[in-house]
Amino acid sequence: MAVVDAHRFAESITCHAWSPDHSMVALCPNNNEVHIYKSSQDQWERLHVLEKHDQIVSGIDWSSKSNKIVTVSHDRNSYVWNLEGGEWVPTLVILRLNRAALCVQWSPKENKFAVGSGAKTVCICYYEQENNWWVSKLIRKRHESSVTNVAWHPNNILLATTSTDGKCRVFSTFIKGVDTKDPKAGSPAESKFGEQILQLDLSYSWAFGVKWSPSGNTLAYVGHSSMIYFVDDVGPSPLAQSVAFRDLPLRDVLFISEKMVIGVGYDSNPMVFAADDTGIWSFIRYIGEKKAASSGSSYSSQFSEAFGKFYGQSKSATANDASESSKSRGGVHDNCINSIVPLNKAGSLKVMRFSTSGLDGKIAIWNLENMEEELGQQF
Amino acid sequence: MASSLRLYLACIKNTLEAAMCLQNFPCQEVERHNKPEVELKTSPELLLNPVLICRNEAEKCLIETSINSLRISLKVKQADELENILTKKFLRFLSMRAEAFQVLRRKPVQGYDISFLITNYHCEEMQKQKLIDFIVQFMEDIEKEISELKISVNTRGRLVATEFLKQFM
Repeated sequence: MAVVDAHRFAESITCHAWSPDHSMVALCPNNNEVHIYKSSQDQWERLHVLEKHDQIVSGIDWSSKSNKIVTVSHDRNSYVWNLEGGEWVPTLVILRLNRAALCVQWSPKENKFAVGSGAKTVCICYYEQENNWWVSKLIRKRHESSVTNVAWHPNNILLATTSTDGKCRVFSTFIKGVDTKDPKAGSPAESKFGEQILQLDLSYSWAFGVKWSPSGNTLAYVGHSSMIYFVDDVGPSPLAQSVAFRDLPLRDVLFISEKMVIGVGYDSNPMVFAADDTGIWSFIRYIGEKKAASSGSSYSSQFSEAFGKFYGQSKSATANDASESSKSRGGVHDNCINSIVPLNKAGSLKVMRFSTSGLDGKIAIWNLENMEEELGQQF
Repeated sequence: MASSLRLYLACIKNTLEAAMCLQNFPCQEVERHNKPEVELKTSPELLLNPVLICRNEAEKCLIETSINSLRISLKVKQADELENILTKKFLRFLSMRAEAFQVLRRKPVQGYDISFLITNYHCEEMQKQKLIDFIVQFMEDIEKEISELKISVNTRGRLVATEFLKQFM
């Protein structure tokens, strides 16, 4: 069993983030508030409610080193919350946006964060000591539609974005005075702020959920056409692979290791993708177990369906039952999963635990440790 | 149920299953707005290709999808004038009570008899499978309902005519 814990916090959850020690979770219950829960003896206790936004909160990220929470909302604002004497105190971020903010992520060094927006721009925000606020620099060019997701490269400079125009782009976000030139980092770090390194035009439909692999060598993102894209050698001559799968589209991805990716989405069951020795990616399996007794139940539903053919009237009712049983699948979530967050110990590259949240209001924590055998050699 | 109707409904059901992948998406054009994109059609990149499923010339179903909303428009079979009137009256009756159905659109899309509008909020509140079942069930029932109405109108007409003609006997 891969699920360690699943708890229903609200009617639906738009996004969630974990505290550095993973004892607390910040989540948005599909409104303008952010709730912080702490786990204590199998119980979840609500500690704080952060109320400052006045529209739905679309992104939360909790920095692991500095213990700051950044939230963005459809009301065009963003706040950085700092714990001072048991209270979370907000600091305004000057986003200079005129449309909704859609996603946020702290950079690996946590001196910057990126906000994707419906204004077809990306804001790179950094702290200004003298004014005590966060200011932003905008990447205005290139995006032809809303920016749905952002992901930082481990080198703290490169930023990958996905957009509803179907493209995935990689930008340099080098800010003078914030970033220092790293002689080891190589050519990408030398390009100036806002320069586009790469544009990937693989998807015919909207692109969501982008992530870098732990080493930053591979980039994965998903398209709404039930495809997942993997890009190696990000640079002048990238190597791209598209993997199509038969189920509903994905919303977000997460690298478990260099060779394994978990995708979550409308099918409400996380999918595992892995690369073989030659680097060819493919769909492996669903992580949530399928119903063990499916053979029996599918037989009975097939039978009743055939039965229904003879007795036209009763067909509709049995069809409903059949679809329900096929839908529930024994999975943890029963609506679209819209975010997946790693829960790895500091310093380890492999993600053994992660959490998912979805529109059904649940947060599920998954543990892969006892699944190693099933997933085989890909680890 | 006729087998062709079953195929027609199965096709609609599968299409809806794939189409009902909606998410909260704020308006790109107007500040602080969040409106069904399929109605406004302000950004062409946020719309998917519409799907038209036809059983025959008289019966068809148009499914239009966008990033945060989905519109289903139905054209119901109208074999004669009586059916035409009955369908119109009956669906008007339903449309006027659209709030009770939540997903019903107050006015059908041009060229269709009745339209549903499903947004991401409906998908958050309700189970997707139940929503799809509701639409399919609705399509199944509407035909039955109309033919029942037709029969009752005819029966009543006959009764009235008989009563009326009795006085001349």
